[in-house]
Amino acid sequence: MTSAVNASHPAPPGFGGHPFARGLPRALTIALTAAAVLAPLSLILYQSLLSAPFFDARKTLGLDAYRFIFDDADFWKALVNSLLIASGMTLIAVPLGGALAFIMERTDLPGKRLIEPLILVPSFVSPMVLAFGYVVSAGPVGFYSVLATRLLGGIPWGLYSVPAMAVIAGLTHVPNVYIYASSALKNLGSDVEEAARIAGASPLQVAMSVSLPLIMPALLFSSVLVFFLGLELFGLPLVLGDPEGHLVLSTYLYELTNKLGTPSYHLMAAVAICIVAMTVPLVLLQRKLLQNTRKYATIRGKAGRVRELPLGRWKWPAIAVAGLFLLVTVVVPLSGIVLRAFVTNWGLGVSVIDALTLDNFRSVFEEPTHTRAIWNTVLLGTLGGAITVACYTAIGFATHRRNDGWSRIVDFLVLAPRAVPGLLIGLAFLWVFLFFPPLRPLRTTIFSMWLAYSVVWLAYGMRLISSSLMQVSPELEEAARTVGASRGRISREITLPLIRAGLLGSWLLVFMIFEREYSTGVYLLAPGTEVIGAELVSLWQGGAIDVVAALALINIVLVFAGLATAALRFGVRLRD
Amino acid sequence: MLNRIALAALAAACLPAFAQSVPAGYPADYAKTLAAAEKEGKVVVYSTTDTKAAQPLIKDFETLYPNIKVEYNDVNSTEMYNRFIAEVAAGQGSADVMWSSAMDLQVKLVDEGHAMTYMSPEAPKLPHWAVYKNQAWGTTYEPCVFIYNKRLVTGNDIPQDHASFARILNTESAKYQGKVTTYDIDKSGLGFMFFVQDTQHFAGMKDLERGFGKTHYRVYSATGSMLEKVSSGEHLLGYDVLGAYALVRAKKDPNLGVVLPKDYTLVLSRVMFISKTAKHPDAAKVWTDYILSQRGQKVIGGAVELFAVRNDVDAEYTAAKLNKELGDKVKPIPVSTEITTYLEPKKRLEFLNAWKTELAAGAK
Repeated sequence: MTSAVNASHPAPPGFGGHPFARGLPRALTIALTAAAVLAPLSLILYQSLLSAPFFDARKTLGLDAYRFIFDDADFWKALVNSLLIASGMTLIAVPLGGALAFIMERTDLPGKRLIEPLILVPSFVSPMVLAFGYVVSAGPVGFYSVLATRLLGGIPWGLYSVPAMAVIAGLTHVPNVYIYASSALKNLGSDVEEAARIAGASPLQVAMSVSLPLIMPALLFSSVLVFFLGLELFGLPLVLGDPEGHLVLSTYLYELTNKLGTPSYHLMAAVAICIVAMTVPLVLLQRKLLQNTRKYATIRGKAGRVRELPLGRWKWPAIAVAGLFLLVTVVVPLSGIVLRAFVTNWGLGVSVIDALTLDNFRSVFEEPTHTRAIWNTVLLGTLGGAITVACYTAIGFATHRRNDGWSRIVDFLVLAPRAVPGLLIGLAFLWVFLFFPPLRPLRTTIFSMWLAYSVVWLAYGMRLISSSLMQVSPELEEAARTVGASRGRISREITLPLIRAGLLGSWLLVFMIFEREYSTGVYLLAPGTEVIGAELVSLWQGGAIDVVAALALINIVLVFAGLATAALRFGVRLRD
Repeated sequence: MLNRIALAALAAACLPAFAQSVPAGYPADYAKTLAAAEKEGKVVVYSTTDTKAAQPLIKDFETLYPNIKVEYNDVNSTEMYNRFIAEVAAGQGSADVMWSSAMDLQVKLVDEGHAMTYMSPEAPKLPHWAVYKNQAWGTTYEPCVFIYNKRLVTGNDIPQDHASFARILNTESAKYQGKVTTYDIDKSGLGFMFFVQDTQHFAGMKDLERGFGKTHYRVYSATGSMLEKVSSGEHLLGYDVLGAYALVRAKKDPNLGVVLPKDYTLVLSRVMFISKTAKHPDAAKVWTDYILSQRGQKVIGGAVELFAVRNDVDAEYTAAKLNKELGDKVKPIPVSTEITTYLEPKKRLEFLNAWKTELAAGAK
C-alpha cells in the first residue's frame, strides 16, 4: 500500500499549469520556513564553535566550548536530570492524555463540556506561576501540607525532588497530548469501536486495542513533542529544582550566563547544540514509524458516524481518572495562585483571614505597563495567533501528501527550534534582528516577538494543522485531480474547507500557548511591546510575588473569557 | 529647596514650549545642553529597576523637562548586558543610559570603553567612591541585609552580625536544617559580588560557609523567592539579601524581619553610565544629572523606595540615615575596577570551587 501512495505523490506531469509556477508557492513557503528557523539555529551553531561572542573581534574558532561543558560535572548532572524528567513526563503525559481524550471524546461521561476547558488550564498558565502555585499549596509549608501534617502527622509528598518534578511536569503536559489525541479521535468514525463493543469488549479494551492504536500518529507525535518540551523545561525546574539544587539543561544554561562572570554565549550555544543533536534521532524515528500515514486517514469519501460509548459500570473509574487529574493538576496549583493573589502574606502560623487584601490587584491596574502588557498579550494571541495559523497552514500544504526530501527537511525544521531552550533562542532572535539589516527596523515592533513565538511553537501548531490534513483521505483530492483540478485549486476548494473547523480550533490553541509564553520574548521586549509572560519574570526577580500572583490570575481569567467568547459568540470549538 | 521645585514646576507648567532654564549652580553653557536635549526629544534608559518602582522618577523628570520623553526598558542585569553589547556591535541604536545593580558588569563595560566621559555638575556632591573616571556614577545606597521569619525566629536566634549568623548555623544546625537561604552564586552575579566583599570584610567567612553546608542551605537566583519563602516559614533565615526590596516588603508583611548587620553592612549602589554611542547624548546627560540631583535623589529615597546616595537629601530612605544608624560600619561597594576582578573566568571558577569545598567540608 505504501508504494501505491508514494507513487501517486509526485503530481503526474501535465496536471495544472506550468511546472515551475506550480512549484513556486511551495518552494517559497519552504524557503521562508527554512530561513526563519535556520537563521537563529545556524547562529547558535556558529557561536558554539567560537571562544567569544561572534560579534567580538577577539573571537577564535575552536571546540573549547564543548570541551568546557563536557568537563563540567554540572553539565552531566543536568543532562541526566533532563533525560530522567523528559522520559518520566512522557511516560506520564502520553497514557494519561490518551486516556482522557478517549473518555472525553468517546464515552458518555457526564459534564464533559465543563471539564474540557479545565483540562487545558495547565497549557496556558506560565509554568513558573504553576510551579509557584504548587509551592504555596503543597510546598513544605503550603496550606494542604499544613492540613496533611495535622491529619496525618506528616507530609506524604515532597515537591522538590527530581521524580516530583517529573510527575508535575508530566501532569502539566497532559494537555499537549490531550489536544492531539482528542482531535484525532474526533475524526475517527466509531463504527470499528461499536463492532468491538458488540463483540463484547469493555470500554478499556476498546480504548486499548481499537481507538488508541488508530490514533497512533497523534500519540507518537505528542510523545516526541512532550519529550522535547521536557528537555527545554525551564520555569518548573527553576522554581522547584532550586531549593534542592537540582539542575536541568535549561537551568544549567541559565547558570552559564553568570558562572564565568559575563554571559558565556559559546558555552550556552554548545549546550543547545547538544540538545538539538539529541533530537535528530527522535525526529528520524518518528518519521520512520509514521511512514505509512494512509493507514490512519479517516475522513473518507464516505462519512463515518461518531457515537458515544456507554460507560456502564466503567463510569466511576472514568470519573475517578478525570477527577483525580483535575484535582492534582488544576485545583491544587490554582488554589495556591488564587490564595496568593488575595493575601499579603501566608505560611506557617499565619491566619489567612487577617492577611486578605485586594491591594495586589490594585497594584496591577495602577501600573500602565501592566495594563499595556495585558492588551499586547491579547493582541498577540488573537490577531497574531490567526496569522500564525495561516502561516502554519501554508507550510502544512507545502508538505501535505508529499513524501520527498523537502518534506523530511520541513519535519526537522519544525521540531528543531523547540529543542533550544527559550532564553537562548530568544537571544538568537535578537542577534538575527540586529545583524540582518533588512530586519532591523522591525526589531522593536511586536512583529519580532510574533515571529519568535511562531517559530518556537512551530512544532506544536504544525501538528494541529497536519493532523487535520492527514485525516482528509486522499481519495477526495484524487477525485478532484481526476477532473483536472490543479494542486492549488484542490487545496483551496477541497482540503481547506474540510479542515476549516480544525483551523479555528488550532487558532484557539495557539492563542492559549501565546498567552503563556515568556522566555522567548525577553530579548525582544521594548517599551510598548510588553507581554504578561515576560512581566511576570521581571516582577519575580524584584520580589513582587503578590503582584505576580494577581497578574497571573488575571491572565487565567482572560484566557477563560477568550475561550468562552469564542465558543458562545462565534461557535468556535476547541476541536471540531 | 522647596522654592526651587515650585519654581521648576511653575516653569514647567507655564512654559512647556520654551527651553528650560539652567538649574542653579550649573555652568551657564548648560543651556546649550538643555536645548540640544530638548531637540533630541527623548532618552532611552535600560534599567534593572523595574518600571513600577521607577515610575515616580520618570514622571517627575518629565514634569521638569516636558520636552524630553523617557523611554524606559526594564530588563534584568544579564539581559541588559547581552542586549547592550549586541546592539552596540551591530551598530544599532541601544541605550543612551545604562542603569544597573550589577555594578561589576557596568564597570566592565566602562573599562571596555563603552561609556562617555562627562563632567556632571552634580558629581562633586556624590561620595568619592561613587564617581568613576567621570564615566560612571553610583546612584543609590542600598544595604545588604539579613532577613528572618518573625513568627518562628525570636530572641537570640535573630542574627545581629555576621559572626552570630555563622554561630547560629553551626550550633543549631538541626533546627536550621534546610531553613537557611541566600543567593545561588553560580547563577546570581549579585550574590557572587556580595560574597566576594564578605570575604574581604569578615574574617570568619569560612565558618559561615561551613555553617551553610552543615545546614544544607537553599539557594535561589531571585530575591523574590527568598523573601517569599522566609515570609512563609519554609525558610527561617536569609543571608545577604538586597535590602531595598526586603524593607519594602517588610513594611506590609508582618512575617518578615530585616536586620542591618551590626559589624558591617555592605552597600550596593546602582551604577549609571552614558553610552559612548548614545543617539541622544544630551538628553542622556540631562537625565543623569537629574538622577544625581537633590531633586532626583529625593524621589529615589522616597517614592522609589531605594536609598538616596547623596548625603544632603531628606527622604524616607537615605544614605544619611543609614550612616547615622551604623556609623563607620557601612561598607559601600566602590564603583571601581577592583570589583571586576572576579569577572575573569579563571579567578571566578577558583572562588566558586573554594566556596564549594568549604560547603562540602561543612556538610560532612
